[in-house]
Parts: sequence; structure tokens; C-alpha cells
Amino acid sequence: MAHRVARTLGMITAVACVAAAAAGAADLRTLTKELFAVPSTTGNEHELAAKIRGLLPKTLAIEEDGLGTVAVRLSGSAGPVLVLAALDGYGHMVSGITPDGYLTVDRPVAPPHARFDAYLLGQPVVVTTAKGPVRGVVSQPALHLLTQERRKSLVDGFSLETAFIDIAVRSDKEARAKGVELLDAVTYPAVLTELAGGQWAGPSLGLKAVAAVLVDIAAGPRSGSAGGEAMVAWAAQTKFAARGRGARPALGAARAKTKWQPQRAVIVDVVAAGKGDGAPVPGGGPVLIQAKAEPSSLLQAFIKLAAEAKIPVQSVTAADSPLALPFAAAPSEVLTVALPVRFLNTPSEIVDLEDLQALRDLLAAFLTKGAGR
Amino acid sequence: MNKRIAIFVMALVVSISSAGAQSKAWEILREIVLVPGVSGHEGPAADYVQKMLPAGLKTERDAMHNVWFTVGSGKPHILFVAHVDELGWTVDRITPEGRLKVKPGGGILPQTVEARPVLVHTKRGPVAGIVAPRPGYDERRPNAEEPEPPFTAESFDVYLGVGTEAEARALGVAEGDSLTAKKTITDFAPGLMATRAVDDRAGCAALLDAALRLKPDAVKGKTVTFAWDVQEETGLFGAAELAKILKPDYVFAIDTFVSTDSPLESKRLAFLPVGKGAVLRAVDSSNVTPKTEIRKVLALAEKRKIPVQVGNSRGGNDGSVFLTGGAVDIPLSWPGSYAHSLIEKIDRRDLEALTDLILAIVAEWK
Repeated sequence: MAHRVARTLGMITAVACVAAAAAGAADLRTLTKELFAVPSTTGNEHELAAKIRGLLPKTLAIEEDGLGTVAVRLSGSAGPVLVLAALDGYGHMVSGITPDGYLTVDRPVAPPHARFDAYLLGQPVVVTTAKGPVRGVVSQPALHLLTQERRKSLVDGFSLETAFIDIAVRSDKEARAKGVELLDAVTYPAVLTELAGGQWAGPSLGLKAVAAVLVDIAAGPRSGSAGGEAMVAWAAQTKFAARGRGARPALGAARAKTKWQPQRAVIVDVVAAGKGDGAPVPGGGPVLIQAKAEPSSLLQAFIKLAAEAKIPVQSVTAADSPLALPFAAAPSEVLTVALPVRFLNTPSEIVDLEDLQALRDLLAAFLTKGAGR
Repeated sequence: MNKRIAIFVMALVVSISSAGAQSKAWEILREIVLVPGVSGHEGPAADYVQKMLPAGLKTERDAMHNVWFTVGSGKPHILFVAHVDELGWTVDRITPEGRLKVKPGGGILPQTVEARPVLVHTKRGPVAGIVAPRPGYDERRPNAEEPEPPFTAESFDVYLGVGTEAEARALGVAEGDSLTAKKTITDFAPGLMATRAVDDRAGCAALLDAALRLKPDAVKGKTVTFAWDVQEETGLFGAAELAKILKPDYVFAIDTFVSTDSPLESKRLAFLPVGKGAVLRAVDSSNVTPKTEIRKVLALAEKRKIPVQVGNSRGGNDGSVFLTGGAVDIPLSWPGSYAHSLIEKIDRRDLEALTDLILAIVAEWK
């Protein structure tokens, strides 16, 4: 009888676990879609920060750094550690309004690659103003009127010099009446494309998916607090490099280091995938990135956790990213855990949902089971 | 009290009767613009047109998917024609890695679809894909002085989320399937939008709206044909087929006027602003409209207080195919900024003025 009860309880527990995992997966997808819909570029992270604050349990005290970063403390077994992801993505901003109402465009930070601006040509965009989103399009020359010379300069040589956003007004006064101001964020509309093989594509999707993973973990149930508190942070202005000599750490990360002084940091980031030549593979699981050849205790802990939980991971040795740099100097320890993203830093970043779930499960395991330090 | 009721009833009757005559062109456009119809694959767009036409009309459809109806009898014979086909691509082959190589289907800047979503229209329904960015898009070029290899429809491929040819075929994708850009509508303001395929779905919507508001019995002393033709973008092939059986005296091709209402264009020609009314194309790349006919149209528009602009631009029109048969070609349009793009811009007022102009011509053209 006792055996039968135990067996039944076991089955119920198993079913509950499967159901919880399924519910968790659904929640992570919903969360990703919710964050995907919110624009966030360097210096214009406030809407995404507000969205994340709204999704976090009211029981968590939210800390901020004055730059726009959002952070919460979680109890768990990981011990004192900072888990940090970026809040801002690459994008553009309004740099001026012409007398006939067109908007000129600039970037708050250097682009991730040379073709980044060229993707704007002939595309719909959203200008996020204090009065709400304003829809526009980036002008392109009419094909029927295009000469070879103009094609060379306006299409092949497209740059921000010839990027004008048309918001269908006739004067700068009308543009201002819509709420448009200098420095307003310019982003692509959040149109999600669902591909075969459980993959999603969209602009800045990698960033939003990673942010959603941390929200999902922070909003989830916590185990005991034997190991102390872990700080989970979504850092603003990470695409902006802190000034100074030598390597250029991300400003938001450097500020987080100063404010919270962690001895150990786990950077949750994105990494270009699917490019062959030993690059991470989409669908191959989260990517563990470390600058040093010899495995750190953090790396060893993650590999062990992944093996125990049967979570696929990939390992790469690469120089510390600007996000990881502030935490790289001894005696601090840093590990980057990244989501592989195909077509990274294009208007269609592709994320494999299995990688996303594996990233969530791996980080959750780390925060609940500890790093075995 | 009775007087008040009578006034209320009268107001209601006026309101209902005028509502019946109200233009639905804008609403039709917002629907039809999303229906796929790459040149040579216009079946769904032709289906939409036929479905929308009043049941009492005797419509015809040929093997190419040209759709038309004729009302009235006698001379002159007036033909209105808009094309249902749109720019896009067709699947040329599937690579062993499950990516699609495509053939172009009309002029669209390939750069504007780089790293953008597309839909493959398979027999089993649409399948989403992404036009892969050019190889090494995010890498520093070893020799920046050398010209970059061109990014063309022939050189790009489409990623579907699969890794093998078999997986791509399992999605239903096959050679010959058409592809369109994934369309989104940018609403600048109520009645002002930009999207793909306004060229020439706006013409189709104007003709459909006119057909819905047309009273066939009122067409006296003339023959009027409304046609929605195919394969304009790839060479006016649908119009050429129609020209074998239709011998109009006047043809009004309803298609985009390539406007220079844009910050990137010289205003020396084609500067007809969006929002200032329908357009009569005086000269384009395929036709010179006789001045006598321009004056007739303008007089008619003035009489009915329909805003109409006249301009010259580039691009051809389906009406030109009927010139050799003896027809007079009078192309009508709306001012379209950013022609042949993902962001073709249109103003509701221009579209409704165009519909009103079509109906005025049906009623009064001699």
C-alpha cells in the first residue's frame, strides 16, 4: 500500500514537474514577446526598464543606479554573485527635423558593424516620443527615376547622410506637434516572424530574449537562502563605452561593478552563431565564453550543472566583451553565458527557442543549486 | 413633435442613402494589399477581385487570371484597367542546406529586403523565411578599397529555419512557388499609410469601389469595361492578352504615378504631392496623353469638384498596349511616393478622388 502511494505521489510529482516545465516554457515565450514589443536603445531604455519593473514580483525591492539600470536581489544558493544582462540594444535616434518635416537620423553609439545603418533604407520605423510612438518610413529613391549615379550614392552608398524619416507631415512644427524631439529613439517595428524548427526572428530579438530569461528567473519561485543573495541586473547604456585608457568596458557594466562590487559576475549576453568555422551553433545550447584558457571555478560549475541537468552547452574561448571587461580583473571572476543568435545585429535576429529555454534552465539551476564555490 | 420626428426620419434616410454611396476604396485597399499575387501567380488576388464584385455582374476570367466585366452597349467603348500583380520572387531551387535561391519578378531594390522576412506561398499555405544577410556582413572587409560584391536577387538566399533540402520540402516548399516581402502597414495617421504593393492594389481597390458604386442600368449610350489584369510588372502580358479580345476607344489605365514628393528626389518633374488629389499622367515612359483629353478630364473633375493633378513622370502603363489597336490611353493615378518599395505611400483622399473620377467618367464620358 505504502509502495502504491509512493508510486502515485511520484507520478503526480512527475506530471506536475512536466506541467510546470511546460508552463515555464510558455511563460518564457510570452515574456519574450512582451519585451520584444518594447523599444530600447542606448540612452532610451526607460520603457523597457519600466516594463521589466512591472513584470517583477512586488515583493522584490528594485534597485537602480541612476543610469537606468534595474536590479533585484534574489535569495538562493548561488552565493554573492551579480548576474547581468544588457537593457539596451543598438539603434538610432532623431538628430534633427528639417523645415519640411523630415527627421534626420544619428546613432547614440558606434554601430556593431559597417552595414548596420544600411538596413534603414526604405524601411518602416517607429519613433518613440514622449507622446507615444510615431510611425514613419525611411525614404528611398523611386526606382523609376533612379540613374546609375544616384543608385551609387543613394542606394549602394546609403548612409545616415541621406537617411530621412518621413512621418507624413509637411513642416517641423507639425513634426513637433506629434511629439517628436531630438534624441527620440528610432527602431524597427516589433514584427516577430515565426520560422520552422522552433525559431523566431525579429529586430533586437536576442537582447529581448535574454532580458526575458532573467525576468522569468527573477519572477519565479526561489529556494532557500543558504548561499546568500544574488543580484540580477538589467544594465542600461551597455553599448556606450566607458571613456579612459586601454580596453573599453561597457559603461552600464562598469557602473554596476562600482555600485554593487561583486566578486563574481555572470554576464548573460548574445553571441553570433551559425557562421561556421568553429562558431557557436544555433540550437546547440547556451554558449559559455571565457577569456582564459584554463577553466575558472564559475565555468567548471556551469559545466557541472549543465551535465547534471542534461542541458546542452557550447564552450568558446574569446576575449572578454565590453560587458564582461569591468569584472575581469583579479580577484574578480567573470563568465559570459550567451544565447546563440543567427544574423546577429541585423533586423532579423534569429533565436532558437530550445536555446532560450536551455539558457533559462541553466541560469535557474545556477541560482537555485549554487555554484559550489 | 411630429415635425421633429419627420426631420429625424429625413435625416436618417439621407444618412443611410449617402452611406450606401460612400467610398469603401480605402478599406478594400487595406485588405487587397495583403493578398499575395506575384506576377504569374495572381490566382488569390484575382479570386479576391471576383469575390468582391456584385453578384449581378457577369464577370469573365481567362486562363491567365485576367478578370473583367462589361456593362452598357454602343460607342464609345471605355476600358478601365488596373493590374493585380505585384513585385516578388519565385523559388528557383532549394540548396542542400535547405535555403532557397530565387528568381526576381520585377523591380525592387534587393538591399531593402536584406535580412528581412518574406513569405513563401506554397500549396499548403505561407511559409516564413528570412533573406539571409550577405556573407561576412558583420566583418571588416580585408580590402575596403575594392568594390563590394553586389547584393542581388540572384545572389541572396532565403533561410527557412531548416538545415536540409528534405526539411524545406517537408514544409511544402517547391520550385516555382512565389515569394513576397512580409507586408506590414505603416499608419502615419488615419487615412495615410505606407506598405508594399500599393502599386497597383490601389488601382484595383479604386476600380472595385467604383464597380460596387456603379449602377449598371445607368450606363447608357456607351460600353464600359472594368478589367483587373495580370503580369504588368513583368511586361504588360495580361493587358496584351486582353487587347486580343477588347477593342476600346478609350483606355484608362489605373496605376501608380511615380511622385517625387520625397526628400531624395529632384522636383523638376513628377512633383505631385501626396494628399492633393487624383492624378492624370500626361506623359510617362509608354504614352503621351493628348491635350484634348487632358482638358476633357479636367473639365469633368472641375464640374464635380474632384481634386485632380496633372503631371509627367516615368514608368509604363497597361493602357499603352491598346494604343496600336486605335485606343486613346489616358492613365489615371494617385501620387505615389517611394514607388516599387516596401513603403509605398498613399493618402485616402487621393484614392477616393480617383474613384470619384472613374465614376464621373463612366457617367459623362462621350
